[in-house]
Amino acid sequence: MPINEAGNLHGNGYADLHFIIPELVEGLRVIEGPFDPRQGNFAVAGSASYELGLRKRGLTIRGTAGSFGTRRLLLTWGPPSGSIGTFGGAELFETEGFGQNRAAQRGTAMGQFEGALPGGSFRVGATAYAASYRSAGVLRADDVARGRADFFDTYDPRQGGDSSRMSLYGDVEQKRGGITYRQGAFLIFRSMRLRENFTGFLLDPQRPVQQPHRQRGDLLDLSVDTITYGARGSASLRSQGPGASSGVELGYFARGDSTASAQLRRQGVPDVPYLRETDLDARLGNVGIYGDVDLRVWRRLTLRGGVRGDFFTYNVLNRCAVAEVRQPSRENPPGDASCLSQQDLGRYRDPTDRVSASALAWLPRGSVLVGPIDSFTFSVSWGTGARSVDPVFINQDRTQPFARLEAMEFGVSYGRTFEHVEVMARSVFFQTKVERDLIFSETAGRNVLAQGTTRTGWVGALRLTGDFFDQAANLTLVKSTFDDTKLLIPYVPDVVLRSDSALHGELPVRLGQRRLQGALASGVTYVGRRALPFGQRSESIFTVDASATLQHQGYELGLIATNLFDRRYRLSEFNYVSDFGSASQPTLVPARHFSAGAPRALFLTFAVHLGGTP
Amino acid sequence: MIRLVLLLPLLLAGCTGTTGSEIVTFDAYAAGPEDAAGPGYTFTTSRGYTVSLDRLRLQIGGLYLNRSVPISGGQERSCYLPGIYVAEVTEGLLVDALQPRPQRFPARGSGTRDRALTGEVWLTGGRIDALSDPTVLLDTAGTVSRDGETFPFEAQFTISDNRRPAVVDPARPGASPLCLLRIVSPIPTDLTPSQDGSLLLRIDPRPLFANVDFEQLPLPPSPGAPRRFLDREEGQPSVALFAGLRSALGVYRFSSPP
Repeated sequence: MPINEAGNLHGNGYADLHFIIPELVEGLRVIEGPFDPRQGNFAVAGSASYELGLRKRGLTIRGTAGSFGTRRLLLTWGPPSGSIGTFGGAELFETEGFGQNRAAQRGTAMGQFEGALPGGSFRVGATAYAASYRSAGVLRADDVARGRADFFDTYDPRQGGDSSRMSLYGDVEQKRGGITYRQGAFLIFRSMRLRENFTGFLLDPQRPVQQPHRQRGDLLDLSVDTITYGARGSASLRSQGPGASSGVELGYFARGDSTASAQLRRQGVPDVPYLRETDLDARLGNVGIYGDVDLRVWRRLTLRGGVRGDFFTYNVLNRCAVAEVRQPSRENPPGDASCLSQQDLGRYRDPTDRVSASALAWLPRGSVLVGPIDSFTFSVSWGTGARSVDPVFINQDRTQPFARLEAMEFGVSYGRTFEHVEVMARSVFFQTKVERDLIFSETAGRNVLAQGTTRTGWVGALRLTGDFFDQAANLTLVKSTFDDTKLLIPYVPDVVLRSDSALHGELPVRLGQRRLQGALASGVTYVGRRALPFGQRSESIFTVDASATLQHQGYELGLIATNLFDRRYRLSEFNYVSDFGSASQPTLVPARHFSAGAPRALFLTFAVHLGGTP
Repeated sequence: MIRLVLLLPLLLAGCTGTTGSEIVTFDAYAAGPEDAAGPGYTFTTSRGYTVSLDRLRLQIGGLYLNRSVPISGGQERSCYLPGIYVAEVTEGLLVDALQPRPQRFPARGSGTRDRALTGEVWLTGGRIDALSDPTVLLDTAGTVSRDGETFPFEAQFTISDNRRPAVVDPARPGASPLCLLRIVSPIPTDLTPSQDGSLLLRIDPRPLFANVDFEQLPLPPSPGAPRRFLDREEGQPSVALFAGLRSALGVYRFSSPP
């Protein structure tokens, strides 16, 4: 079941992961780059696959309460004798949020049943998720510095959003005659509304056809309703020979997206919409087929690769095709209407317009692996990918409604198990070129198409796993530039460091017949100073999260701290023009804006397990 | 090659490169002409009037520098458009235009280190797009003489409902917003704002009165009282003085003194 949302006006390929209950994620499989022919649309830097499951069988009730009025109740269950792929889970969550205007509520439910078939298995599942939240948005740094606003304030308390997703899915896997067949289907109903104000009172200049007015306000009111349906299937054949093995997989992925999206601007007082900027009704199609070969030609030489072909189709009805008209009709002046039914000189035209476009992308990919040689494996990968463009950018017969990308990487990995420690390490150099990249636009309130970009960098990762500890760390260094000007791409960090550490085991304390189980964990995040427009750099981000857990038989008590040292940081920073009434006259030159990162928060968790595994 | 691979992480970690340009802040000032010395500033206009000013104050709402030069005869422009400004001074100042000494605006200006080709003087006491504004923007008084006749005059101009243009085309009720009257533009300039630099606006009274035919001013209600300019588009003197106030050529000059 795909997560990325094709045709989402807020961001084509937007992914809202809140519908996944973390406790029901059994594994996360990340594949870098567009190097695997199974990777389809939107796989630019890589793709991630969530494997759902519940290892803790029986019934579990977990309650969490903590800072800022945060409360969460989670219920999970799975029959003790069933596979971990059979489970149910539901949660309710609410918080008042830190600072101003950050309250949120959420409800989520997931259920899946996995059963056996002769020679195979099947799986059916359903998810439901709905959320409503307030958002503080951005603040101007000069307003905070001069005391006009507090670090956690908001300019516009109407900001926030609503989101929901309901989905059904199922798949079948069967092995016959040495060939493994897989077939799945999915149906997703998705709805979201987003209200954001990045620029205050800036984007509503007086136009000649309009009645005289002041700046009415830039609050964006974006809504998207989507039905996604599709299927995927594959057949794979694997043969094993002396000293060598090979595999072939043929497959397809097909999806259709039926979306209705609109973006309006709302004025301050009274709070009503005054401008319809976008109103689209789009039918998107994507059929991808692939062939993948995995050939171990020699004990220490493996060739992987294949070709993927993706066919993209667009059929877009623009319900607001005419926003401006030269020399409008005097008898029937358009006034302040947004979607006009006039053309130049006031002649009538239908306010809608339909465009359609389609294109085929051939995407070869491949990797060569040499090793292991003394626990080292060397690899070189190259691949091309495609990312479909937002329907709002589609013109009639647009020859290429997708951005082509090309990626390569080479590196070495090390994996070895010592007596009590398993060591894994990687060092990879990479380069990704995107033909038309997406860059944030504060006036559009989302990412918009820009020129080509190149990212060149290095990733280092280390993981140490032992009987009582687990340590994972990775460091990414990257230089991101526009291909034409060679200037840095704004908002992309040069340095990102993440470290996760855990200690776990039995404690020297007995309670009844059993010893207490304990665990300590920490997560450290460092994000370097990001390049900002106009030659500036953001502040860096450094946060530490920590947790401690005690477990005894069917009971679990935990304490979680996020931003343990209560560092005041800016989650995101921007340089652009805005006018939030900070000065007597409009502010029309770029200034620093930021959204505040969360202060320290403490949460207490208590869980009870009944039946099944403790 | 191996050395390059080993050095690459260090080079990347150096946060090298830029996105271009730079954000700057600077002090802003306004002043009268260099040769002014307070009340009594005297000059002769092209119409032969000798004007002696006792008072000349302008309410400047803001200063803006713009990277582009408007195309003559181009399409109607909005009062302002985001994305074209390289400098701004957004807190107003009541400027004594008979003082040669620079008078500092109450807040520093800000902008980007990009070349500005035009300037704008915003004459307003409220927000530039306010539908009405009672603030007196030009306050002047003095005496004028020609051919042996001398009389006092005074003027107080506002830009509010008194100057709202009549709607000519019902399909375009917003074609002439008041904010366009409040913005003096395009004032030719050529400077690049710099960090901790300065921006100086000089106001020259001479071209302000250049085309005013003082003799056509209405007679005062009592002998010896000053003749008053009308705060509306009526009569040559009032129209000419208001045109001078809004003249982008000659009256206002931007510079960036060290």
